[in-house]
Formats: sequence, C-alpha cells, structure tokens
Amino acid sequence: MAPLDAPLQAAAEQQDAETAEETLRRRIGQLTRTLHDALRELGYERELMDARANLPDARDRLAYIARVTGEAAEKVLNAVDRARTVQHELTEKAGSLRSRWQVVTTYSSGGRGCTPAGKELVDETCEFFCGVGSQADRTNAILTDIMMAQDFHDLTGQVIRRVVALAQTLEEQLVRLLIETTPAAQRPRIDPQELQGPVVSPHGRDDVVSDQKGVDDLLATLGF
Amino acid sequence: MTADVRFLIVDDFSTMRRIVRNLLKEIGFANAEEAEDGVVALSMLKANKFDFVVSDINMPNMNGFELLKIVRSDEALKSIPFLMVTAEAKKDDIVQAAQGGASGYIVKPFTKATLEEKVQKILSKQA
Repeated sequence: MAPLDAPLQAAAEQQDAETAEETLRRRIGQLTRTLHDALRELGYERELMDARANLPDARDRLAYIARVTGEAAEKVLNAVDRARTVQHELTEKAGSLRSRWQVVTTYSSGGRGCTPAGKELVDETCEFFCGVGSQADRTNAILTDIMMAQDFHDLTGQVIRRVVALAQTLEEQLVRLLIETTPAAQRPRIDPQELQGPVVSPHGRDDVVSDQKGVDDLLATLGF
Repeated sequence: MTADVRFLIVDDFSTMRRIVRNLLKEIGFANAEEAEDGVVALSMLKANKFDFVVSDINMPNMNGFELLKIVRSDEALKSIPFLMVTAEAKKDDIVQAAQGGASGYIVKPFTKATLEEKVQKILSKQA
C-alpha cells in the first residue's frame, strides 16, 4: 500500500464505523419507539379507557387485570362456600325427616290404619330422603371442581407478573442503550447509571422521568 | 389425629391459599393458617406450633426454596413435613426441592386426590 493510502484507509474505516454506529443507533431508536407506540395502543383500548381513566400505562393495566381476576375468583369461592352450607343443611334435614318417616313406615307395616296409597307415599318419601345424601355428595363434588378451577388466578397472575417485569426491563434497557449510544451533543442530562427501576418520588428531581409522557418526550428530543 | 394436624399454607396468591385450605378441610384437616410469603411463614413457624407446611415456590421477599433451606437448618423446625405446591415444573426445580429436603412436590394445576395422596403419604411416614 502506498504511504498516502494508509491515512485515507484509516479515515474510510473510521467513516464506516461511524455510519454503522449511527445506523445501529437509529434502528434501536425505532425499535424503542415501536415498543412505546404498542404500549400506548394497549393503553387506549376503548373499554379500558372507559373503565379506568386514570391508568397511565400497560403495566398498570396488567395489574388491573390481575386484581379483577382475583376478585372474580374470590366471588366464586364465596359462592361455593355458601352453596356448601345449603347442601349441608339440606342433608341434615333430609336425614332427620328420614328417621321420622321410618317410624311411620314401621307403624303402618303393622297394618294399623295405612291405605295402600299412603304406604306407597311413605315408601317413596323415604326413598327420596335416602337419595338426598348421595345427591348432596355429587353436588359437593361439582362444587369442588368449581373451586379448583379458580386456580386460574394463581397461574395467570404469575404469567402477568413475569410479562410486566419483562416489559419493564426491556424498556429500561432500550432507553438506557439509546441514551448511551446517542452523541454527547444530543444527549439530555440523564445519567444512565441512575436508571434503576420505578421512581418512588420524582418530585424535586430533574434527572428522572416520572411518567410515560416523560419517556415519550425524551425520545422525541432524540429524534424518535 | 387428623383434626390435630396444624397446617401452614404459604402462597402469595390468596385464592390459592383458600383453595388449598378448603381442600385440606375436605380431606379431614380443618386446622390451617396462611402466610403470603416465606418471611411471614418463618415468623409464624417460630412463634407457633405447626405440624405441616404446604408452600409455593415463587413468592416475593422469600421464596419457597429459601424458606425450605432455613426450616431444614433450624433445630426446632428441621423435622416438619414440607410439601411444595407450585407451578414450577422444571426438572431442575424438582431436583433442587428434593435435595433441599422437601417432603413432597405437587405441580399446579393439581387435583384434590393428588393433594390428599401426598399429604397422607407424608403423614404416614411421620407416624
């Protein structure tokens, strides 16, 4: 290689590196914007807006889903408990009446003043009372199935928790990476080392964003 | 005997604690209390007499593995039956529970029959 080509070569390589870096930065920025737009779309679902006007972001909406499904499961479990109580009372009463009707049966089988129709009614009634217990057992088994089905709240709740954590981590890392790859002249006064999860008290601080609008505004200043 | 066994149910989801509690009652064990994570469970175990622990794994503050480890290393608690009831179905987790001293392992979703079988099996070993 001629002596004059070496600096040109280095300059060309430097130019390629800067172009690649700029391209990477732009693609990351676009990806971050796409993520934010998707989260914003979720937040503007009409029915969620009508129901929860104060929910600012997707994480709050997922927490809402977890809470509402939990309340629904609790309502079902409460209803199952009440139904079991009714079943128990029914079984107890049936057992008591069966005992009394069996005395009547014993009395009437002695031929003392019972018509055939009356005897048939007594027998049928005793048979019914005998069957109440097994029917109550079957109903209780169904109530157990209904109760067990409420485990959906635990299983879905764990998944929701992980999705929320994943979305938060991804968003934080993308924003951090975007800021770190942004040229110093364009970088706002935010230290990426301070990005460590939810801000508990943003008041009085100018180095953090406190809500989704703050994030959107920051990205907008960076050109995304 | 069954009425005397005092259970501690540990899970961060209240609906699951309630389901386990109701199932235990259906199979004859009416004496149960609840804790929402390992930290609360540990303080309850140290303060009161429990005969059986039914614990989830994934919980905030202190998970089921951490609770198991502390229980098995505590002179007063190390012999208590400890049944894992969890959504974690990875083999590594099951092996870790077994090596950590868990008395049994149930994967969610589970049935009443499964819970009854495991509880009775563990109690019969204790007898």
